[in-house]
Amino acid sequence: MNFTYRGRCWKFGNDIGVDGDLMPLEFAMQRETRLEVLAPHTMKGVDPAFAARAQPGDIMVAGRRFAQGNPHIQGLLGIAALKLGLVVESIPRGSLRNAVNAGVPLLPSCPGVTAQVETGEELEVDFATGRLRNLTRGTQLSFAPLDKELRDIIAIGGWRPALERRIAAMGRRT
Amino acid sequence: MAQTVTEKILSRAMGRPVRTGEIIYPEPDLVTVHDWYVVNFDKALQELGVTRLYAPDKLLISTDHEPVAVSVLAAERQRQVRQIAAKYGLKHFYDTGRGGHGHVFPMELGYIKPGMFVLAYDVHANNYGALGCLAIPLVVEITDVLACGSVWLKVPETVRINLQGALRPGLTLRDVADRMIADVGADVADYTVMEFGGPALASVGIDGRVTLCNRPIEIGVKSTVFETDAVTLAYLEAHARPPFEVLRSDSGATFKATFDYDLGILEPQVAAPPTPDNVVPVSSVAGKKVDHAFIGSCANCSITDLRDAARILKGRKVSAGVRFVVTPGTQQIQARAAAEGLLAIFTDAGAMLTAPGCGPCAGGRTFPLAKGEVSINTGTRNDYGRLGTREAEIYLASPFTVAASAVAGRIVDPRELL
Repeated sequence: MNFTYRGRCWKFGNDIGVDGDLMPLEFAMQRETRLEVLAPHTMKGVDPAFAARAQPGDIMVAGRRFAQGNPHIQGLLGIAALKLGLVVESIPRGSLRNAVNAGVPLLPSCPGVTAQVETGEELEVDFATGRLRNLTRGTQLSFAPLDKELRDIIAIGGWRPALERRIAAMGRRT
Repeated sequence: MAQTVTEKILSRAMGRPVRTGEIIYPEPDLVTVHDWYVVNFDKALQELGVTRLYAPDKLLISTDHEPVAVSVLAAERQRQVRQIAAKYGLKHFYDTGRGGHGHVFPMELGYIKPGMFVLAYDVHANNYGALGCLAIPLVVEITDVLACGSVWLKVPETVRINLQGALRPGLTLRDVADRMIADVGADVADYTVMEFGGPALASVGIDGRVTLCNRPIEIGVKSTVFETDAVTLAYLEAHARPPFEVLRSDSGATFKATFDYDLGILEPQVAAPPTPDNVVPVSSVAGKKVDHAFIGSCANCSITDLRDAARILKGRKVSAGVRFVVTPGTQQIQARAAAEGLLAIFTDAGAMLTAPGCGPCAGGRTFPLAKGEVSINTGTRNDYGRLGTREAEIYLASPFTVAASAVAGRIVDPRELL
Protein backbone atom coordinates (compact mmCIF):
# COMPACT_ATOMS: atom_id res chain seq x y z
CA MET A 1 0.00 0.00 0.00
CA ASN A 2 1.13 3.51 -0.82
CA PHE A 3 1.45 5.30 2.52
CA THR A 4 2.19 8.69 1.03
CA TYR A 5 -0.88 10.85 0.56
CA ARG A 6 -0.79 14.09 -1.40
CA GLY A 7 -3.82 16.33 -1.39
CA ARG A 8 -5.61 19.28 0.10
CA CYS A 9 -5.62 20.01 3.80
CA TRP A 10 -8.91 20.11 5.68
CA LYS A 11 -8.27 21.62 9.09
CA PHE A 12 -10.46 21.12 12.17
CA GLY A 13 -10.19 22.25 15.79
CA ASN A 14 -10.01 20.44 19.14
CA ASP A 15 -12.52 17.98 20.62
CA ILE A 16 -14.27 16.86 17.43
CA GLY A 17 -16.87 14.39 18.76
CA VAL A 18 -17.42 10.87 17.45
CA ASP A 19 -21.19 11.19 17.70
CA GLY A 20 -22.79 14.22 16.14
CA ASP A 21 -19.67 15.93 14.78
CA LEU A 22 -17.94 13.11 12.93
CA MET A 23 -21.04 11.04 12.15
CA PRO A 24 -24.72 11.25 13.12
CA LEU A 25 -25.33 9.04 16.18
CA GLU A 26 -28.17 7.16 14.47
CA PHE A 27 -25.68 5.17 12.36
CA ALA A 28 -23.91 3.94 15.48
CA MET A 29 -27.21 2.97 17.07
CA GLN A 30 -28.06 0.98 13.91
CA ARG A 31 -24.57 -0.63 13.90
CA GLU A 32 -24.28 0.57 10.28
CA THR A 33 -20.96 -0.41 8.73
CA ARG A 34 -21.58 -0.13 4.96
CA LEU A 35 -19.02 2.34 3.64
CA GLU A 36 -21.23 3.66 0.86
CA VAL A 37 -23.95 4.52 3.38
CA LEU A 38 -21.60 6.23 5.84
CA ALA A 39 -19.34 8.15 3.44
CA PRO A 40 -21.74 11.01 2.54
CA HIS A 41 -22.35 11.79 6.23
CA THR A 42 -18.71 12.12 7.30
CA MET A 43 -18.09 15.28 9.37
CA LYS A 44 -21.69 16.31 8.71
CA GLY A 45 -22.05 17.89 12.15
CA VAL A 46 -19.10 20.22 11.54
CA ASP A 47 -19.25 20.86 7.78
CA PRO A 48 -22.21 19.37 5.89
CA ALA A 49 -20.46 20.02 2.55
CA PHE A 50 -17.24 18.24 3.56
CA ALA A 51 -18.01 14.74 2.34
CA ALA A 52 -18.99 15.98 -1.12
CA ARG A 53 -15.93 18.21 -1.50
CA ALA A 54 -13.15 16.07 -0.04
CA GLN A 55 -11.20 14.08 -2.64
CA PRO A 56 -9.40 10.77 -2.18
CA GLY A 57 -5.88 11.50 -0.94
CA ASP A 58 -6.89 14.68 0.87
CA ILE A 59 -5.70 15.01 4.44
CA MET A 60 -7.74 15.89 7.51
CA VAL A 61 -5.70 17.72 10.13
CA ALA A 62 -7.33 18.09 13.56
CA GLY A 63 -6.47 19.32 17.02
CA ARG A 64 -6.52 17.59 20.38
CA ARG A 65 -8.82 14.69 21.29
CA PHE A 66 -10.04 14.07 17.77
CA ALA A 67 -13.00 11.64 17.77
CA GLN A 68 -13.57 11.96 21.51
CA GLY A 69 -16.63 10.37 23.11
CA ASN A 70 -18.14 6.88 23.08
CA PRO A 71 -15.84 5.02 20.66
CA HIS A 72 -18.22 4.18 17.81
CA ILE A 73 -16.43 3.21 14.62
CA GLN A 74 -18.88 4.67 12.09
CA GLY A 75 -17.18 8.08 11.75
CA LEU A 76 -13.77 6.48 11.15
CA LEU A 77 -15.35 4.17 8.57
CA GLY A 78 -16.66 7.31 6.84
CA ILE A 79 -13.12 8.72 6.66
CA ALA A 80 -11.86 5.39 5.31
CA ALA A 81 -14.63 5.35 2.71
CA LEU A 82 -13.58 8.81 1.47
CA LYS A 83 -9.97 7.54 1.27
CA LEU A 84 -8.61 10.39 3.40
CA GLY A 85 -5.49 10.53 5.53
CA LEU A 86 -5.69 11.71 9.11
CA VAL A 87 -3.21 13.84 11.08
CA VAL A 88 -4.20 14.75 14.64
CA GLU A 89 -2.64 16.41 17.66
CA SER A 90 -4.13 13.62 19.80
CA ILE A 91 -6.80 10.91 19.64
CA PRO A 92 -8.36 8.95 22.54
CA ARG A 93 -7.57 5.25 22.88
CA GLY A 94 -10.92 3.90 21.65
CA SER A 95 -10.90 6.03 18.53
CA LEU A 96 -7.25 5.16 17.74
CA ARG A 97 -8.26 1.48 17.73
CA ASN A 98 -11.25 2.32 15.56
CA ALA A 99 -9.11 4.28 13.10
CA VAL A 100 -6.75 1.31 12.74
CA ASN A 101 -9.67 -1.10 12.50
CA ALA A 102 -11.34 1.07 9.86
CA GLY A 103 -8.10 1.15 7.86
CA VAL A 104 -7.48 4.91 8.06
CA PRO A 105 -3.81 5.93 7.65
CA LEU A 106 -3.03 8.30 10.50
CA LEU A 107 -0.40 10.15 12.47
CA PRO A 108 -1.87 9.98 16.00
CA SER A 109 0.36 12.35 17.93
CA CYS A 110 1.31 15.61 16.20
CA PRO A 111 1.38 18.35 18.86
CA GLY A 112 1.06 21.83 17.36
CA VAL A 113 0.41 20.65 13.82
CA THR A 114 -2.77 22.71 13.44
CA ALA A 115 -0.70 25.90 13.72
CA GLN A 116 1.40 24.86 10.71
CA VAL A 117 -1.30 24.17 8.11
CA GLU A 118 -4.49 25.76 6.79
CA THR A 119 -7.48 24.39 4.94
CA GLY A 120 -6.83 24.38 1.21
CA GLU A 121 -3.04 24.13 1.41
CA GLU A 122 -1.36 21.31 -0.49
CA LEU A 123 0.10 18.68 1.85
CA GLU A 124 2.11 15.53 1.38
CA VAL A 125 2.16 13.08 4.28
CA ASP A 126 4.22 9.91 4.45
CA PHE A 127 2.37 7.83 7.05
CA ALA A 128 5.18 5.28 7.20
CA THR A 129 7.84 7.79 8.27
CA GLY A 130 5.77 10.57 9.86
CA ARG A 131 7.03 13.26 7.47
CA LEU A 132 4.53 16.01 6.66
CA ARG A 133 5.38 18.48 3.88
CA ASN A 134 3.35 21.63 3.43
CA LEU A 135 3.89 22.13 -0.30
CA THR A 136 2.08 25.47 -0.32
CA ARG A 137 4.42 26.93 2.31
CA GLY A 138 7.49 24.90 1.42
CA THR A 139 7.84 23.68 5.02
CA GLN A 140 8.42 20.22 6.45
CA LEU A 141 7.49 18.68 9.81
CA SER A 142 8.33 15.36 11.34
CA PHE A 143 6.24 13.31 13.75
CA ALA A 144 6.34 9.79 15.17
CA PRO A 145 4.66 7.39 12.74
CA LEU A 146 2.20 4.77 13.84
CA ASP A 147 3.82 1.49 14.87
CA LYS A 148 4.63 -0.90 12.03
CA GLU A 149 2.27 -3.57 13.38
CA LEU A 150 -0.63 -1.13 13.21
CA ARG A 151 0.37 0.19 9.78
CA ASP A 152 0.23 -3.41 8.57
CA ILE A 153 -3.38 -3.70 9.77
CA ILE A 154 -4.25 -0.46 7.99
CA ALA A 155 -2.42 -1.52 4.84
CA ILE A 156 -4.45 -4.69 4.45
CA GLY A 157 -7.70 -2.78 4.91
CA GLY A 158 -8.41 -2.79 8.64
CA TRP A 159 -9.82 -5.16 11.23
CA ARG A 160 -11.67 -7.77 9.21
CA PRO A 161 -9.03 -8.50 6.52
CA ALA A 162 -6.26 -8.37 9.14
CA LEU A 163 -8.08 -10.90 11.32
CA GLU A 164 -8.80 -13.12 8.31
CA ARG A 165 -5.09 -13.07 7.44
CA ARG A 166 -4.13 -13.92 11.01
CA ILE A 167 -6.65 -16.76 11.24
CA ALA A 168 -5.28 -18.20 7.99
CA ALA A 169 -1.66 -17.84 9.15
CA MET A 170 -2.44 -19.60 12.42
CA GLY A 171 -4.46 -22.34 10.75
CA ARG A 172 -7.46 -21.46 12.89
CA ARG A 173 -9.98 -22.04 10.08
CA THR A 174 -11.37 -25.48 10.69
CA MET B 1 14.86 -2.15 35.54
CA ALA B 2 12.21 -0.62 37.83
CA GLN B 3 8.69 -1.48 36.68
CA THR B 4 5.12 -0.41 37.37
CA VAL B 5 2.48 -2.98 38.32
CA THR B 6 1.20 -2.87 34.74
CA GLU B 7 4.65 -3.42 33.23
CA LYS B 8 5.17 -6.38 35.56
CA ILE B 9 1.87 -7.98 34.58
CA LEU B 10 2.40 -7.49 30.85
CA SER B 11 6.03 -8.63 31.07
CA ARG B 12 4.92 -11.87 32.70
CA ALA B 13 2.20 -12.33 30.07
CA MET B 14 4.82 -11.87 27.31
CA GLY B 15 7.56 -13.87 29.03
CA ARG B 16 10.01 -10.99 28.60
CA PRO B 17 10.35 -7.40 29.82
CA VAL B 18 8.07 -5.03 27.91
CA ARG B 19 8.64 -1.32 27.41
CA THR B 20 6.08 1.47 27.45
CA GLY B 21 4.66 2.29 24.02
CA GLU B 22 5.55 -1.08 22.52
CA ILE B 23 2.90 -3.05 20.57
CA ILE B 24 2.46 -6.52 22.05
CA TYR B 25 0.13 -9.52 21.68
CA PRO B 26 -0.12 -10.89 25.25
CA GLU B 27 -2.34 -13.91 25.90
CA PRO B 28 -4.81 -13.32 28.75
CA ASP B 29 -5.32 -15.58 31.75
CA LEU B 30 -9.08 -15.05 31.49
CA VAL B 31 -11.51 -13.63 28.92
CA THR B 32 -14.94 -12.35 29.93
CA VAL B 33 -17.95 -11.66 27.72
CA HIS B 34 -21.48 -10.72 28.80
CA ASP B 35 -24.86 -11.97 27.66
CA TRP B 36 -25.42 -9.22 25.10
CA TYR B 37 -22.41 -10.13 22.94
CA VAL B 38 -22.29 -13.93 22.90
CA VAL B 39 -24.56 -14.32 19.87
CA ASN B 40 -22.54 -11.61 18.08
CA PHE B 41 -19.12 -13.19 18.59
CA ASP B 42 -20.49 -16.58 17.60
CA LYS B 43 -21.83 -15.12 14.35
CA ALA B 44 -18.49 -13.41 13.66
CA LEU B 45 -16.56 -16.63 14.28
CA GLN B 46 -18.88 -18.56 11.98
CA GLU B 47 -18.32 -16.00 9.20
CA LEU B 48 -14.57 -16.29 9.74
CA GLY B 49 -14.71 -20.08 9.58
CA VAL B 50 -13.52 -20.60 13.16
CA THR B 51 -15.38 -23.47 14.84
CA ARG B 52 -13.30 -23.96 17.98
CA LEU B 53 -12.19 -21.28 20.42
CA TYR B 54 -8.47 -20.72 20.89
CA ALA B 55 -8.82 -21.29 24.65
CA PRO B 56 -12.39 -22.24 25.64
CA ASP B 57 -11.38 -22.97 29.23
CA LYS B 58 -10.32 -19.33 29.69
CA LEU B 59 -13.67 -17.88 28.63
CA LEU B 60 -16.17 -16.77 31.27
CA ILE B 61 -19.69 -15.78 30.19
CA SER B 62 -21.88 -13.76 32.55
CA THR B 63 -25.60 -13.09 32.35
CA ASP B 64 -25.86 -9.62 33.82
CA HIS B 65 -27.12 -7.17 31.21
CA GLU B 66 -30.52 -8.82 30.88
CA PRO B 67 -30.83 -11.62 33.46
CA VAL B 68 -34.61 -11.31 33.44
CA ALA B 69 -35.80 -11.65 29.87
CA VAL B 70 -38.67 -9.20 29.52
CA SER B 71 -39.42 -9.96 25.89
CA VAL B 72 -39.66 -13.00 23.64
CA LEU B 73 -36.65 -11.62 21.76
CA ALA B 74 -34.60 -11.61 24.98
CA ALA B 75 -35.75 -15.12 25.89
CA GLU B 76 -34.69 -16.26 22.42
CA ARG B 77 -31.27 -14.67 22.90
CA GLN B 78 -30.86 -16.46 26.24
CA ARG B 79 -31.75 -19.74 24.53
CA GLN B 80 -29.09 -19.11 21.88
CA VAL B 81 -26.47 -18.20 24.49
CA ARG B 82 -27.06 -21.53 26.26
CA GLN B 83 -26.66 -23.39 22.97
CA ILE B 84 -23.48 -21.49 22.12
CA ALA B 85 -21.98 -22.18 25.57
CA ALA B 86 -22.68 -25.89 25.04
CA LYS B 87 -21.33 -25.86 21.47
CA TYR B 88 -17.96 -24.45 22.50
CA GLY B 89 -17.82 -26.61 25.62
CA LEU B 90 -17.54 -23.68 28.02
CA LYS B 91 -16.87 -24.56 31.66
CA HIS B 92 -17.39 -21.05 32.98
CA PHE B 93 -20.86 -20.17 31.70
CA TYR B 94 -22.93 -18.35 34.33
CA ASP B 95 -26.56 -18.41 33.29
CA THR B 96 -29.34 -16.23 34.68
CA GLY B 97 -29.63 -16.77 38.44
CA ARG B 98 -25.97 -17.81 38.65
CA GLY B 99 -23.11 -15.53 39.58
CA GLY B 100 -24.54 -12.09 38.90
CA HIS B 101 -22.59 -9.11 37.64
CA GLY B 102 -19.64 -10.28 35.55
CA HIS B 103 -17.49 -7.39 36.73
CA VAL B 104 -17.98 -8.51 40.35
CA PHE B 105 -18.77 -12.20 40.92
CA PRO B 106 -15.54 -13.53 39.39
CA MET B 107 -13.76 -11.81 42.30
CA GLU B 108 -16.09 -13.46 44.84
CA LEU B 109 -15.64 -16.86 43.23
CA GLY B 110 -11.86 -16.76 43.25
CA TYR B 111 -11.23 -16.28 39.53
CA ILE B 112 -9.33 -13.03 40.02
CA LYS B 113 -5.90 -12.70 41.66
CA PRO B 114 -3.08 -10.14 41.71
CA GLY B 115 -0.85 -10.23 38.64
CA MET B 116 -3.49 -11.70 36.33
CA PHE B 117 -4.11 -10.30 32.88
CA VAL B 118 -7.72 -10.28 31.64
CA LEU B 119 -9.27 -9.19 28.34
CA ALA B 120 -12.96 -8.39 28.50
CA TYR B 121 -15.88 -7.48 26.31
CA ASP B 122 -17.34 -4.48 28.16
CA VAL B 123 -15.79 -1.35 29.47
CA HIS B 124 -16.00 -1.73 33.23
CA ALA B 125 -14.11 -5.02 33.62
CA ASN B 126 -11.28 -2.97 35.09
CA ASN B 127 -13.18 -3.46 38.37
CA TYR B 128 -10.86 -6.48 38.76
CA GLY B 129 -8.05 -4.00 39.37
CA ALA B 130 -9.37 -3.89 42.95
CA LEU B 131 -7.52 -7.21 43.43
CA GLY B 132 -4.38 -6.22 41.56
CA CYS B 133 -5.44 -7.77 38.25
CA LEU B 134 -4.97 -5.90 34.98
CA ALA B 135 -8.22 -6.16 33.00
CA ILE B 136 -8.39 -4.38 29.65
CA PRO B 137 -11.68 -3.79 27.89
CA LEU B 138 -12.20 -4.48 24.20
CA VAL B 139 -15.29 -4.40 22.08
CA VAL B 140 -15.43 -6.03 18.63
CA GLU B 141 -11.81 -7.22 18.91
CA ILE B 142 -12.77 -9.75 21.56
CA THR B 143 -13.39 -11.89 18.45
CA ASP B 144 -9.63 -11.78 17.69
CA VAL B 145 -8.92 -13.04 21.21
CA LEU B 146 -11.45 -15.86 20.96
CA ALA B 147 -10.18 -16.91 17.52
CA CYS B 148 -6.43 -16.33 17.84
CA GLY B 149 -5.73 -15.96 21.56
CA SER B 150 -4.69 -12.31 21.69
CA VAL B 151 -4.99 -8.87 20.14
CA TRP B 152 -2.60 -5.96 19.83
CA LEU B 153 -2.07 -3.73 22.82
CA LYS B 154 0.19 -0.77 23.28
CA VAL B 155 1.99 -1.02 26.63
CA PRO B 156 0.45 1.93 28.48
CA GLU B 157 1.97 4.55 30.71
CA THR B 158 0.82 4.64 34.33
CA VAL B 159 -0.73 7.51 36.28
CA ARG B 160 -0.09 6.92 39.96
CA ILE B 161 -2.64 7.96 42.60
CA ASN B 162 -1.38 8.04 46.18
CA LEU B 163 -4.42 7.90 48.44
CA GLN B 164 -4.09 9.91 51.61
CA GLY B 165 -6.21 11.12 54.51
CA ALA B 166 -9.54 9.69 55.62
CA LEU B 167 -13.18 9.82 54.54
CA ARG B 168 -15.41 12.26 56.37
CA PRO B 169 -18.78 11.11 57.81
CA GLY B 170 -21.55 10.90 55.22
CA LEU B 171 -19.09 10.66 52.35
CA THR B 172 -18.12 7.54 50.47
CA LEU B 173 -15.50 6.38 48.00
CA ARG B 174 -18.02 7.05 45.24
CA ASP B 175 -17.84 10.75 46.12
CA VAL B 176 -14.05 10.53 46.06
CA ALA B 177 -13.96 8.59 42.78
CA ASP B 178 -16.27 11.04 41.01
CA ARG B 179 -14.38 14.08 42.33
CA MET B 180 -11.07 12.46 41.38
CA ILE B 181 -11.92 11.78 37.73
CA ALA B 182 -13.07 15.35 37.35
CA ASP B 183 -9.85 16.63 38.95
CA VAL B 184 -7.44 14.38 37.05
CA GLY B 185 -9.16 14.91 33.70
CA ALA B 186 -9.13 13.16 30.36
CA ASP B 187 -6.02 14.83 28.97
CA VAL B 188 -3.82 13.19 31.62
CA ALA B 189 -5.74 9.93 31.90
CA ASP B 190 -6.16 8.96 28.26
CA TYR B 191 -4.47 5.69 27.29
CA THR B 192 -2.91 5.21 30.74
CA VAL B 193 -3.41 2.72 33.51
CA MET B 194 -4.38 4.44 36.74
CA GLU B 195 -2.59 2.76 39.63
CA PHE B 196 -3.65 3.22 43.26
CA GLY B 197 -1.47 3.03 46.32
CA GLY B 198 -0.43 5.32 49.14
CA PRO B 199 -0.70 5.65 52.90
CA ALA B 200 -4.54 5.52 53.05
CA LEU B 201 -4.72 2.21 51.18
CA ALA B 202 -5.24 0.18 54.36
CA SER B 203 -8.45 2.10 55.10
CA VAL B 204 -10.01 1.28 51.73
CA GLY B 205 -11.81 -2.08 51.55
CA ILE B 206 -12.23 -4.16 48.41
CA ASP B 207 -15.76 -2.84 47.80
CA GLY B 208 -14.46 0.73 47.82
CA ARG B 209 -11.53 -0.27 45.61
CA VAL B 210 -14.01 -1.58 43.06
CA THR B 211 -15.72 1.81 42.95
CA LEU B 212 -12.37 3.62 42.62
CA CYS B 213 -11.36 1.27 39.80
CA ASN B 214 -14.69 1.63 38.04
CA ARG B 215 -14.97 5.38 37.57
CA PRO B 216 -11.74 6.40 35.75
CA ILE B 217 -12.77 4.51 32.58
CA GLU B 218 -15.08 7.47 31.91
CA ILE B 219 -12.04 9.72 31.40
CA GLY B 220 -10.40 7.36 28.95
CA VAL B 221 -8.03 5.19 30.98
CA LYS B 222 -7.09 1.82 29.56
CA SER B 223 -7.45 0.21 32.96
CA THR B 224 -7.08 0.67 36.70
CA VAL B 225 -5.17 -1.37 39.24
CA PHE B 226 -4.47 -1.40 42.97
CA GLU B 227 -1.23 -2.42 44.59
CA THR B 228 -1.48 -5.63 46.64
CA ASP B 229 -1.60 -5.16 50.41
CA ALA B 230 -2.95 -6.84 53.56
CA VAL B 231 -6.53 -5.91 52.59
CA THR B 232 -6.12 -7.69 49.25
CA LEU B 233 -4.58 -10.75 50.87
CA ALA B 234 -7.32 -10.99 53.50
CA TYR B 235 -9.97 -10.91 50.75
CA LEU B 236 -8.11 -13.53 48.73
CA GLU B 237 -7.76 -15.84 51.72
CA ALA B 238 -11.56 -15.86 51.98
CA HIS B 239 -12.35 -16.16 48.29
CA ALA B 240 -9.54 -17.71 46.24
CA ARG B 241 -6.99 -20.49 46.23
CA PRO B 242 -3.34 -19.66 46.93
CA PRO B 243 -0.68 -18.87 45.92
CA PHE B 244 -1.15 -15.12 45.85
CA GLU B 245 1.38 -12.81 44.30
CA VAL B 246 2.11 -9.48 45.99
CA LEU B 247 2.46 -6.83 43.30
CA ARG B 248 3.62 -3.28 43.81
CA SER B 249 5.42 -0.83 41.57
CA ASP B 250 9.18 -0.74 42.09
CA SER B 251 10.68 2.36 43.61
CA GLY B 252 12.06 4.26 40.68
CA ALA B 253 9.34 3.04 38.29
CA THR B 254 8.36 5.66 35.72
CA PHE B 255 4.95 7.29 35.98
CA LYS B 256 3.40 9.69 33.46
CA ALA B 257 2.03 11.67 36.41
CA THR B 258 1.66 11.23 40.17
CA PHE B 259 -1.17 12.65 42.24
CA ASP B 260 -1.50 12.74 46.02
CA TYR B 261 -5.24 12.42 46.50
CA ASP B 262 -6.90 13.15 49.83
CA LEU B 263 -9.94 11.03 50.74
CA GLY B 264 -11.11 13.80 53.06
CA ILE B 265 -13.12 15.78 50.51
CA LEU B 266 -15.54 18.12 52.19
CA GLU B 267 -18.88 17.63 50.47
CA PRO B 268 -20.81 14.82 48.74
CA GLN B 269 -20.44 14.97 44.96
CA VAL B 270 -22.92 14.55 42.13
CA ALA B 271 -22.17 13.95 38.43
CA ALA B 272 -24.68 16.10 36.56
CA PRO B 273 -25.72 15.50 32.95
CA PRO B 274 -24.40 14.95 30.36
CA THR B 275 -21.08 13.26 31.31
CA PRO B 276 -19.82 11.35 34.36
CA ASP B 277 -16.93 13.77 34.81
CA ASN B 278 -19.24 16.78 35.06
CA VAL B 279 -18.97 16.56 38.85
CA VAL B 280 -20.35 19.20 41.21
CA PRO B 281 -20.91 19.46 44.99
CA VAL B 282 -24.37 18.22 46.01
CA SER B 283 -25.29 21.68 47.29
CA SER B 284 -25.22 23.07 43.76
CA VAL B 285 -27.97 20.71 42.56
CA ALA B 286 -29.84 20.26 45.87
CA GLY B 287 -33.60 20.68 45.65
CA LYS B 288 -33.89 19.13 42.18
CA LYS B 289 -37.07 17.01 42.18
CA VAL B 290 -36.45 13.33 41.41
CA ASP B 291 -38.76 10.65 39.96
CA HIS B 292 -36.46 7.66 39.87
CA ALA B 293 -33.64 6.37 42.03
CA PHE B 294 -31.46 3.32 41.73
CA ILE B 295 -28.76 1.63 43.82
CA GLY B 296 -26.60 -0.78 41.87
CA SER B 297 -24.47 -1.09 38.67
CA CYS B 298 -20.91 -2.35 38.49
CA ALA B 299 -19.79 0.88 40.20
CA ASN B 300 -21.79 0.45 43.43
CA CYS B 301 -23.49 -2.93 43.89
CA SER B 302 -21.57 -4.31 46.88
CA ILE B 303 -22.74 -5.26 50.34
CA THR B 304 -21.09 -2.05 51.58
CA ASP B 305 -23.19 -0.02 49.15
CA LEU B 306 -26.40 -1.79 50.20
CA ARG B 307 -25.56 -1.20 53.87
CA ASP B 308 -25.05 2.49 53.15
CA ALA B 309 -28.43 2.73 51.41
CA ALA B 310 -30.13 0.76 54.20
CA ARG B 311 -28.65 3.06 56.84
CA ILE B 312 -30.57 5.94 55.26
CA LEU B 313 -33.74 3.98 54.51
CA LYS B 314 -34.18 2.22 57.85
CA GLY B 315 -37.47 3.38 59.37
CA ARG B 316 -38.13 5.76 56.48
CA LYS B 317 -40.26 5.65 53.34
CA VAL B 318 -39.34 6.47 49.78
CA SER B 319 -41.12 9.69 48.82
CA ALA B 320 -44.47 9.31 47.07
CA GLY B 321 -43.98 9.53 43.33
CA VAL B 322 -40.41 8.22 43.41
CA ARG B 323 -39.74 4.70 42.14
CA PHE B 324 -36.71 3.27 43.87
CA VAL B 325 -34.87 0.22 42.58
CA VAL B 326 -32.14 -1.78 44.31
CA THR B 327 -30.04 -4.23 42.30
CA PRO B 328 -27.57 -6.29 44.38
CA GLY B 329 -24.52 -7.03 42.27
CA THR B 330 -24.41 -10.78 42.70
CA GLN B 331 -26.32 -13.77 44.03
CA GLN B 332 -23.94 -13.85 47.01
CA ILE B 333 -24.42 -10.16 47.79
CA GLN B 334 -28.18 -10.59 47.61
CA ALA B 335 -28.04 -13.57 49.99
CA ARG B 336 -25.87 -11.65 52.41
CA ALA B 337 -28.14 -8.60 52.25
CA ALA B 338 -31.07 -10.87 53.07
CA ALA B 339 -29.20 -12.41 56.01
CA GLU B 340 -28.34 -8.98 57.38
CA GLY B 341 -31.95 -7.80 57.11
CA LEU B 342 -31.15 -5.17 54.49
CA LEU B 343 -33.67 -6.49 51.97
CA ALA B 344 -36.42 -6.14 54.58
CA ILE B 345 -35.40 -2.52 55.15
CA PHE B 346 -35.61 -1.82 51.42
CA THR B 347 -38.96 -3.56 51.13
CA ASP B 348 -40.41 -1.69 54.12
CA ALA B 349 -39.22 1.60 52.64
CA GLY B 350 -41.10 0.93 49.40
CA ALA B 351 -38.13 -0.04 47.22
CA MET B 352 -38.18 -2.70 44.50
CA LEU B 353 -35.51 -5.37 44.15
CA THR B 354 -34.31 -6.67 40.83
CA ALA B 355 -32.28 -9.72 39.85
CA PRO B 356 -28.51 -9.41 40.46
CA GLY B 357 -26.62 -7.90 37.53
CA CYS B 358 -26.44 -4.46 35.92
CA GLY B 359 -30.00 -3.42 36.79
CA PRO B 360 -31.42 -0.40 34.94
CA CYS B 361 -27.91 0.87 34.14
CA ALA B 362 -27.71 -1.55 31.17
CA GLY B 363 -29.34 0.96 28.85
CA GLY B 364 -32.59 1.31 30.75
CA ARG B 365 -34.03 -1.94 29.42
CA THR B 366 -35.71 -2.24 32.80
CA PHE B 367 -37.11 0.70 34.80
CA PRO B 368 -36.54 3.31 32.06
CA LEU B 369 -37.22 7.01 32.39
CA ALA B 370 -40.15 8.82 30.78
CA LYS B 371 -40.04 12.25 29.16
CA GLY B 372 -39.14 15.02 31.54
CA GLU B 373 -38.20 12.72 34.41
CA VAL B 374 -35.14 12.95 36.65
CA SER B 375 -33.14 10.02 38.02
CA ILE B 376 -30.51 9.98 40.71
CA ASN B 377 -28.57 6.73 40.81
CA THR B 378 -25.25 5.02 41.44
CA GLY B 379 -24.86 3.95 37.79
CA THR B 380 -21.92 4.43 35.50
CA ARG B 381 -23.13 6.86 32.85
CA ASN B 382 -25.42 9.87 32.69
CA ASP B 383 -25.49 10.52 28.93
CA TYR B 384 -28.85 11.67 27.64
CA GLY B 385 -30.73 8.53 26.63
CA ARG B 386 -28.80 6.15 28.88
CA LEU B 387 -31.96 5.15 30.75
CA GLY B 388 -34.59 5.36 28.05
CA THR B 389 -35.71 8.66 26.58
CA ARG B 390 -33.16 11.33 25.77
CA GLU B 391 -35.58 13.85 27.27
CA ALA B 392 -34.72 12.92 30.85
CA GLU B 393 -31.93 13.87 33.25
CA ILE B 394 -29.59 11.51 35.07
CA TYR B 395 -27.55 12.46 38.15
CA LEU B 396 -24.94 10.06 39.53
CA ALA B 397 -24.07 9.98 43.23
CA SER B 398 -23.16 7.82 46.23
CA PRO B 399 -25.55 5.29 47.79
CA PHE B 400 -26.05 7.71 50.72
CA THR B 401 -27.00 10.58 48.43
CA VAL B 402 -29.22 8.43 46.19
CA ALA B 403 -31.12 6.88 49.10
CA ALA B 404 -31.51 10.21 50.90
CA SER B 405 -32.77 11.88 47.72
CA ALA B 406 -35.28 9.07 47.17
CA VAL B 407 -36.63 9.65 50.68
CA ALA B 408 -36.75 13.43 50.26
CA GLY B 409 -38.14 13.32 46.70
CA ARG B 410 -35.45 15.81 45.70
CA ILE B 411 -31.68 15.85 45.62
CA VAL B 412 -30.38 16.36 49.16
CA ASP B 413 -27.15 16.25 51.10
CA PRO B 414 -27.41 12.84 52.83
CA ARG B 415 -25.77 14.16 55.97
CA GLU B 416 -29.18 15.70 56.78
CA LEU B 417 -30.51 12.15 57.27
CA LEU B 418 -27.54 10.44 58.94
